[in-house]
Amino acid sequence: MIIKNDIGYAFRLLAKSPGFTALTTLVMATGIGLSVYLFSFMNTMLFKALPFPDGDTLVEISKSISGAPNNEELNLHDYQQIREQVKGLKEFGAYRYVSVNVAGRDGARRYAGTMAESNIFELTRTKPILGRGFAPKDDKQGSERVVVIGYDVWQLQYNADENVLGQVLRVDGNSHKIIGVMPQGYFFPNNVEIWLPLREDALNQSRDKVGKANGLAHLVDGYSVDEVNQQLAAIMKRIETRYPETNSEASAYAASIPSATMGDGIAVVYSMHIAGILILILAAVNVGNLLLSRAIERGKETAIRVALGAPRHRIIGQMLLESIIICTVGGIIGLLMVSYGLTVTQTITDNFNSGKPTFWFKFGIDSYTIGLFLTFIITTIIMTGLVPAWKNSGGDFNAVLRDGTRGALGKKSSRMNKILVITEIFLSMGILIAASVIILSSYKANHADYGAKTENILTARLQLPQASYAEDEKRIELLETLQTRLESDTKVGNVMLASSLPGIFSGTTRVAIEGEEYAGEGNNRFPEVNWVEVKTGTLQKLGVELQQGRYFSNLDKGLGKKTVVVTDSFAEKHFAGVDPVGRQIRVVKPNNDQIEWLSIVGVVKHTIHGRASTPSGNRPVVFRPYSQNPGTFMFLAMEMRAGEELLVRNLRETLKSIDPELPAYYIQTYETSIHRGIAPLRFVSSVFLLFGIATVVLAGSGIYGVMSNTINQRTQEIGIKRALGAMDERVTRELLNSGAKLLLMGGIPGVLFGGAMGFAMSKVMGLDNSDLLLICGTMVGIIGSVVIFATWLPTKEALKLEPSQALHYE
Amino acid sequence: MSELLIDLKGIKKVFYTDEIETHALSDISLSVHKGEYISISGPSGCGKSTLLSLLGLLDTSSEGHYALAGKNVSDISKRERARIRNQEIGFIFQSFNLISDLDVEENVELPLTYRADLSKADRASMVKSALEKVDMQHRAKHFPSQLSGGQQQRVAVARAIAGNPSILLADEPTGNLDSKNAEAVMQLLDKLHSEGATICMVTHDPRSAMSAQRNIEVLDGRVVSDQLQNSGEATIQSIEVAL
Repeated sequence: MIIKNDIGYAFRLLAKSPGFTALTTLVMATGIGLSVYLFSFMNTMLFKALPFPDGDTLVEISKSISGAPNNEELNLHDYQQIREQVKGLKEFGAYRYVSVNVAGRDGARRYAGTMAESNIFELTRTKPILGRGFAPKDDKQGSERVVVIGYDVWQLQYNADENVLGQVLRVDGNSHKIIGVMPQGYFFPNNVEIWLPLREDALNQSRDKVGKANGLAHLVDGYSVDEVNQQLAAIMKRIETRYPETNSEASAYAASIPSATMGDGIAVVYSMHIAGILILILAAVNVGNLLLSRAIERGKETAIRVALGAPRHRIIGQMLLESIIICTVGGIIGLLMVSYGLTVTQTITDNFNSGKPTFWFKFGIDSYTIGLFLTFIITTIIMTGLVPAWKNSGGDFNAVLRDGTRGALGKKSSRMNKILVITEIFLSMGILIAASVIILSSYKANHADYGAKTENILTARLQLPQASYAEDEKRIELLETLQTRLESDTKVGNVMLASSLPGIFSGTTRVAIEGEEYAGEGNNRFPEVNWVEVKTGTLQKLGVELQQGRYFSNLDKGLGKKTVVVTDSFAEKHFAGVDPVGRQIRVVKPNNDQIEWLSIVGVVKHTIHGRASTPSGNRPVVFRPYSQNPGTFMFLAMEMRAGEELLVRNLRETLKSIDPELPAYYIQTYETSIHRGIAPLRFVSSVFLLFGIATVVLAGSGIYGVMSNTINQRTQEIGIKRALGAMDERVTRELLNSGAKLLLMGGIPGVLFGGAMGFAMSKVMGLDNSDLLLICGTMVGIIGSVVIFATWLPTKEALKLEPSQALHYE
Repeated sequence: MSELLIDLKGIKKVFYTDEIETHALSDISLSVHKGEYISISGPSGCGKSTLLSLLGLLDTSSEGHYALAGKNVSDISKRERARIRNQEIGFIFQSFNLISDLDVEENVELPLTYRADLSKADRASMVKSALEKVDMQHRAKHFPSQLSGGQQQRVAVARAIAGNPSILLADEPTGNLDSKNAEAVMQLLDKLHSEGATICMVTHDPRSAMSAQRNIEVLDGRVVSDQLQNSGEATIQSIEVAL
């Protein structure tokens, strides 16, 4: 039984060694703080149930291609079949995100919206604060156009007018009756502020013409997500067999809304969790080692206590008290650090999106974090305290008192020290490789050449409503007018318009090359490209370098013209050794009708759409003149010859003068736009940089501590060898060799383990095998240097003693 | 008189700890000839072990001149001192000082591995011969922890003689042994001496000292007596010290 005296004694002992106490507490605070932070951060981002009643059973059903769960929308025919056949889900609802333009009293604004089936609000068990949600009748085509607005829209557009119900809201050029206002903070499924009925009569449309949407549903009691996914896979397999043209390699999966967007990135998430556990173990091993050394130092005191009749459990309890105090105090400091870190995280993640922040990103100390904190505290107390206490309480106390068992104890502790060093090398190698993959990926993304000039350019997005801009000519005319008016402004330089800018994700399509044959079934056999529509002149104004042929010119203007410019990556992949200019390609369409061959007129340097080195960034690009194929979504980029604020105002006014209901949104500099795209990566990279630094410090100090302890324990042995004639160089070499052996024993599995994690992560993070090899090599170099230094320095100190002193070293 | 092996003149050893200056040895002059069997005795803390450390080049003197086999070793490099310890001196310690991770054969071989001029076969033959001399060849593959104290000390003796050193230096070789094992070790040293070994032994056991031909007594860092066994005849040095 641990009595009060023991507690007081433990505090006195810790107070007697303030350096030791501060060091161990700080190490524990670092280990517990970093690991709890990482778990809490990930849980809030990806795993926490959505903050609604039954939020833990709400799942999203998405399409996957070739097994890649990338949160794609399902064909509504497939969704219907899933709805009818799957057994583990109930309360189905379909939705798709839309970007809508809303005309208000002070001009047009763009909002993130969703078109959803009528039960969208019932799925979250949430009622509007004013009016009603959707009713099944609202889903019917031809019924009155209705809209539910978000709290912020109500505040901003209607000044919180209680009589807003029944008023008309112009959405994408159409009038909608407001039927409800959702509560503050409600943005379901994510970032949404305008809800419209889906109104898709899927059954009356052919499979290749029907729209797409994600599904929502609740899990039926007794079914797990894995079981549902097995059912979904079986259903989709049957559909694929029946419709290979549209469904080749397509499947479906259910996941919670936060985790559905993870896709292949889940490998990174798991690796981050592993890294969190590893750093906790690393800290615990360090503190455990320090406590073990202290326990060995106090071996005689323990032996006296045993000789005086202290029972073993009392000895263990007394020694455990120190661990309890260190881990608890360290943990509390760590938890304070976590609290601060999560507050900072909240601020940073609020800026991840150009629009509203993700609503479930509410970082803070929650019940999960507290539970995890307590679990980690108990685990670290056991890891750091039990082994030293058990080891030191079970020795031959009589022999210790006779001072005759130093050699035997030394051998045991030498074995323990080797295990500690090997463990530290293994752990640090794993963490550092994982951290380095993320840091290098972020570095590459930050320093990538996207293939265009990005400085001093203001960008904005335009979404042309179908209702107002149904005709191609009208869309072309709008952009012509907008470009001309903006370029006439002396504060504006060149104006560029494209459906995607380098550095930003673009749409994709599949193309076929003239003369090539593609074996297999379905459209997935055709090569995928990033597809970008650009206004004539945009490529050269953006600085996209021409390699062959020509840029688009007036020759290419016109709906009947059929020309494209491709990137050199496209040319290398499909026209290796052949001049691509003059060759033809076509866009693959679902039913292969309306075949339209497009001539390549030029080749430009590769532009990265998305993140550098990722599949999207590496994908070849095909550019088509906007005037040949005008879409409804465009990026506008304009060279700034004045301050950002003035230009934003000028842009809004210009646009208002052309079409008062057309807003420009996400107005920001080109560089901000690109940086925002990689902000999550940069943030995670910063966290991992902190992890890396903590690991190097923890591992470095830990390895040095253990090696130094080991060499101290071998001082007599060193003295014997020198007495027998061993040269100092020989002794140094022997000890360095033993350090190198430990490096190999911990390093080889560490590199294999870290390499495996790194390999899984690098596929998602856009690194290739040579990057991974470089990382592994560098980490071996760093940890190797730490081990060599940690061996060499204490050896040098030990060799400063005369052999006669070393022989009598205590 | 046989060949002069050790020649100490005016040796002093001062230890400095913080601000305290401890004179462990004061003006020691001593000669040892080849084939001699000397015991150095005196009370605890008198400096006898320090003297043995200086003789074995395990430490350096603060002052004085030391010649080993005619060569001045007072001011030589660390490398040269290590070479001499390896090839000219054999050590036997009170606490055996065997390496616990090495078996008997490896312990005996250890000093030989520091010599570049010996092949593996040479070393094996020398280890075998040394173990035979101490009658421990049957325990060649045992680890020190599997041996009794007496056996461990016999292995330590084998290690000391394996390289055919010019002199054996023994520091309380029977200090950690019971009387039976102590007797056996002393007989072993006697046997080695009778075969021509030069032995210099620190001891405060009178019975062990009796085995030596010549007894040197140290007190407060000075040689106060240097007598041949059973002759009562003082050597020149002790007379000089006394004067």
